[in-house]
Amino acid sequence: MPPPITSLRRCFEGAVPAVIATCSRDGIPNVSYISEVHYVDPGHVALSFQFFSKTRQNVLENPRATVSVIHPDSGAQYRLAVRYLRTEACGPLFECMKAKLAGIASHSGMTGVFQLRGADVYRVESVTEIYGATLEAPPPPEVDVTVLRECMARLSRATDLASLLDTLLDVLADPIGLTHAMVLMHDPSGERLYTVASRGYAESGVGAEVHPGEGIIGAAAQARIPIRIAHATSEFGYGRAIREDLQSRGITAGIEQRIPFPGLPESQSQIAVPILAGDRLLGVLFAESETPGRFGYDEEDGFMVLASHVGAVSALLEDEAPAGEETPGVQRSELPAGAPLRVRRYAANDSIFIGDDYLIKGVAGAILWRLLRSHVEDGRSDHTNRELRLDPAIHLPDLSENLEARLILLTRRLEERCPALRVEKTGRGRFRFHVLRPVALEEIAR
Amino acid sequence: MGRMTGGTESNRLLDAAHAAFIQGPVSVIVATRNAERVPDVVRGCGCRVSRDRRQVTVLIEPARASSLLDDIAANGLVAVVFSQPSTHRTIQLKGEDARVVPVTAADRAAARRHRQQWCADLASIGYSPEFAAAVHGGRGPLAAIRFTPTAAFQQTPGPGAGQPLRS
Repeated sequence: MPPPITSLRRCFEGAVPAVIATCSRDGIPNVSYISEVHYVDPGHVALSFQFFSKTRQNVLENPRATVSVIHPDSGAQYRLAVRYLRTEACGPLFECMKAKLAGIASHSGMTGVFQLRGADVYRVESVTEIYGATLEAPPPPEVDVTVLRECMARLSRATDLASLLDTLLDVLADPIGLTHAMVLMHDPSGERLYTVASRGYAESGVGAEVHPGEGIIGAAAQARIPIRIAHATSEFGYGRAIREDLQSRGITAGIEQRIPFPGLPESQSQIAVPILAGDRLLGVLFAESETPGRFGYDEEDGFMVLASHVGAVSALLEDEAPAGEETPGVQRSELPAGAPLRVRRYAANDSIFIGDDYLIKGVAGAILWRLLRSHVEDGRSDHTNRELRLDPAIHLPDLSENLEARLILLTRRLEERCPALRVEKTGRGRFRFHVLRPVALEEIAR
Repeated sequence: MGRMTGGTESNRLLDAAHAAFIQGPVSVIVATRNAERVPDVVRGCGCRVSRDRRQVTVLIEPARASSLLDDIAANGLVAVVFSQPSTHRTIQLKGEDARVVPVTAADRAAARRHRQQWCADLASIGYSPEFAAAVHGGRGPLAAIRFTPTAAFQQTPGPGAGQPLRS
């Protein structure tokens, strides 16, 4: 029975370097620093393999090694007898260690020097606490079971996706105490994530996009694993990733518009965890802090619990009106007076401009265009999710498409950028589209 | 990566700068192995280099070691890493004739000096004095391990790590 190392996880945050002693086939001992010791499960750790070193050569020859780690709060030291099992050069463990290593490299001035070649997985065969004075035990984690219970109870009371995501950001702020956070939803067709809710930023950034693999949000989405960075790193900064992406794509004049990504300028710690509903990636929960090392293994556990609860609750939320109520009566809304609002649509990507200002694109853009046409052509203001889902003009990619998330995005972008147009939820799967000014629609063909 | 035996005509691996470095504010990590080739490792609490720079003595607290002193007695093989926390500058020495020798008053003075200097180096990169002192230890009974370095490697993190030490 291997000794559980769960209680030692704080030792594996990279705050204090660990060392490994190995021995060659010829019996020559070697000792070396390890950049990253990663907690895999109660019986295994993974060490970062960055260079073809003597350590690496030795463990391939003789798998028995000894690792010494230091608790970053108490200063207590532990000796782990370990046995090398295998190297993983891709996959979730590798991605997670790669992101964390980038943070460690940044912390220690080693950016560009540290590059992960593989995650070397070891079985832990024994753990010994090394004799010595230690400081007082660290305070208990902030995300404890009692706090989680309260958060989950509040999330369970959500009646629709919008209130579920808002509650998620609310509980992060209080009782958990994280005031800079956002939720991005996954768009399976366009292979991107778009921000639908955020807290703590000057601009909400609703509608801002991240591509899978970009920064820690994209990495968490792609590998479907939690990713944390304890120290600011340019390598995994979403800002830089997005700037480079912009440069590599080039911006198509007038059409390819981007909403600036929100973010803390002095961000030091970041965490991104996938929100999964069954095996489907729903989105990513992201939080950041100006405090280095803000997110540890315990916080990661807490985030994963919250995110999986959000995934499960969202799957239970029906977004369609009960049968028999799907066709709202055609009720001609009163035509507003005043100067017309010029709304332009580029058919190429369903991007919508209000006057000369970019508003939205993609599925949310197509929905808005349909609502506007319906307003102009037959004066309708009441709509259902079902009619949108069945409308070929909106080209929803498939049934798993999260229409409700698109409506949240559209509703919030209109609130922020175009108060003359408003989406109001009127019941499960139903909403009213308010048009407070006359509109002049203009379509730019492909 | 080849082991470097010898190194100068006088068979002396350490120049004056290296000798000063390993006796300075560096982490001293000592490793051995037993008959089953299972390694042991312990943080040392000081180092002294002989006047002719042919002999290195590292100081450890035996209470912190597992099989390390038995391993030394059984096979004399040792590897020691010296690394300055604030700069990451690191070298590794290896020896084949390690033995436990009596601790002298000068050794105890060296351990006290090492604790002060090492804790100051850690403080310069943000570690609290209490934390550094807890990790260092060095207040209990000491053991001295003496060996003749027969191989020396540059081990500062990076692709050049593992190259034979140069002056």
